[in-house]
Amino acid sequence: MGLLQRRRQQPVGDSAAIDDARVDLDAARRELIRAQVALDSLPLGVVLVDHRGVVVIRNARNVAGSGHGDVLVQEAIDRLVPTALAGRESHTSVELYGPPKKVIQVSAAPLSDGGAIVSVEDISERSRLDAVRTDFVANISHELKTPVGALAVLAEAIADETDIDVVQRLSVKMVDEAHRAATAIDDLLELSRIELGGTAVSDPVQAADVLGDAVVRSLASAEQRNIHIDLDEPAALTVRGDRRQLVSALSNLIDNAVKYSEPGSDVHIAAELVDGLVNFSISDHGVGIPSRDLDRIFERFYRVDRARSRETGGTGLGLAIVRHVATNHEGDVQVKSAEGEGSTFTLRIPVAP
Amino acid sequence: MNELRKGFHEDLDEAKSELVRLAALVTEAIPRATAVLLDGDLEGADLLIRADDEMDARAIDLEERCYHILALQAPVASDLRQVIALLRMVAEVERSNDLLCNICKAARRIYGHELDPKLRGIISRMGEQAQQLYEAAIESFVQNDAAKAAAIDDMDSYLDGLQKQFVQAIFESHAAGRIDLQVAVQLAVVARFYERIGDHAVNIGERVRFVVTGWVPEHKGAERYRRFVEGTGQIPRIDDAMVPPDDSGEDAS
Repeated sequence: MGLLQRRRQQPVGDSAAIDDARVDLDAARRELIRAQVALDSLPLGVVLVDHRGVVVIRNARNVAGSGHGDVLVQEAIDRLVPTALAGRESHTSVELYGPPKKVIQVSAAPLSDGGAIVSVEDISERSRLDAVRTDFVANISHELKTPVGALAVLAEAIADETDIDVVQRLSVKMVDEAHRAATAIDDLLELSRIELGGTAVSDPVQAADVLGDAVVRSLASAEQRNIHIDLDEPAALTVRGDRRQLVSALSNLIDNAVKYSEPGSDVHIAAELVDGLVNFSISDHGVGIPSRDLDRIFERFYRVDRARSRETGGTGLGLAIVRHVATNHEGDVQVKSAEGEGSTFTLRIPVAP
Repeated sequence: MNELRKGFHEDLDEAKSELVRLAALVTEAIPRATAVLLDGDLEGADLLIRADDEMDARAIDLEERCYHILALQAPVASDLRQVIALLRMVAEVERSNDLLCNICKAARRIYGHELDPKLRGIISRMGEQAQQLYEAAIESFVQNDAAKAAAIDDMDSYLDGLQKQFVQAIFESHAAGRIDLQVAVQLAVVARFYERIGDHAVNIGERVRFVVTGWVPEHKGAERYRRFVEGTGQIPRIDDAMVPPDDSGEDAS
């Protein structure tokens, strides 16, 4: 009432005061827009509620990225708000199975004006890295300790054995385990060399040459498993880089394709130029890779099927090597796979100018 | 909201939100059940089966809430259609979650048996497809989008195709001696569960179309029946070929 009266008492046509008010209003509006823009550009979702729990401000960040994920995140927000309004902080995390798998953390905190603020953050990458770290330790000890442990047990058995046949059988096993440990160590050394070294060498390398060399390395195992390697005669393409590394990467990919193919099937290998990149593609009709493992297979020692890893051999380092070679050459490696149908790996390296 | 029946519309909105939340839980549980089956994850199976109790309780609450709205608010026209549709949909959602529990129980029964990569591949694709159908069903409901709801039926035929392909793969795997008969039967039933989950998503889509346009799929079959009765003055017998051969799908409406 008092305000109304004061306004009426003001002389009509006090245009300076009206203009001032308008300027203030415009400034306030700009401030508000700026705050909203800043809030929207944050990498997390922010929801502000008043003391009754009514949403006052909500930024545009959509953290879950899927319809049902948003609903589940909203449910978590609704669950936390009453606690925050009662003056206590609370957190929860929503795990979305995907693929891709997502972990979203929802935290609510009370505000001094009696309201509450809720933040919604995508912590998928953080929890993935945690998983990588813990799995790495478990896997490296598995790959290195298993053969060493087996060697020790076999050696003990031989020491007490007098039957020459048994000694012979056990020593064959010892040789196998020693080879396994040696391969793991070789691969680890190769990987650290590639990781540390980068591409010191930058020679012009013919795509056809590296492919040819890599194929030759896998011919014996392909023949043994009755797998036909079908190599498209590559066009004259040149890339710059370290020939040894490129051969190592490609032979890892071809080796995998042969190893995981159904006996009697084809492995198709090609090199072609796409958008300034030489695409080396290796396709098989093998067991394929489950979609939720696809983003983890390039990790060191990661195994899709641990139970099978002993029978297929290998150390679990091959694809890590491939990825490092790709990055060293300013390229990348991509994979498409359907379980039960087969996989296609594509190593993409920039073509030499 | 400046209207006379503010409380009623708030009740209705809350009931709709709860249905969306329940459907979201099912959408999220589909890939989990698939992983339980593929990884032989007994702990995960137990978790999902126990979570079904919450689903049952919340579904009953939602049903009660709808009855309250009907009894106390006597809604009409599109409001009435919404409440009726909610009542039907909550049953679909609740049943879908039961089917996911059944998949987990099947995972327990075949625990320890290795599956071919081909079987595993089709199982994960069936799971992905069922999840997409459910996602589309919720979206069409939230957005009141009859066109999207109508598309779910066509999306479902892909899932039906996968189920047939899967049954074929089971035969091959069994014939090659890679899985025994008991596992083969369990897997065939699992395929059926996925296919049914897809059908429930289709039914939700049909209820969305009913809310938006008043259309129900049963009208087509009912119309056929009425025409027959009016035309002949008799109730059709089984051999009366009332249904043309091309129209006699398993879920013919």
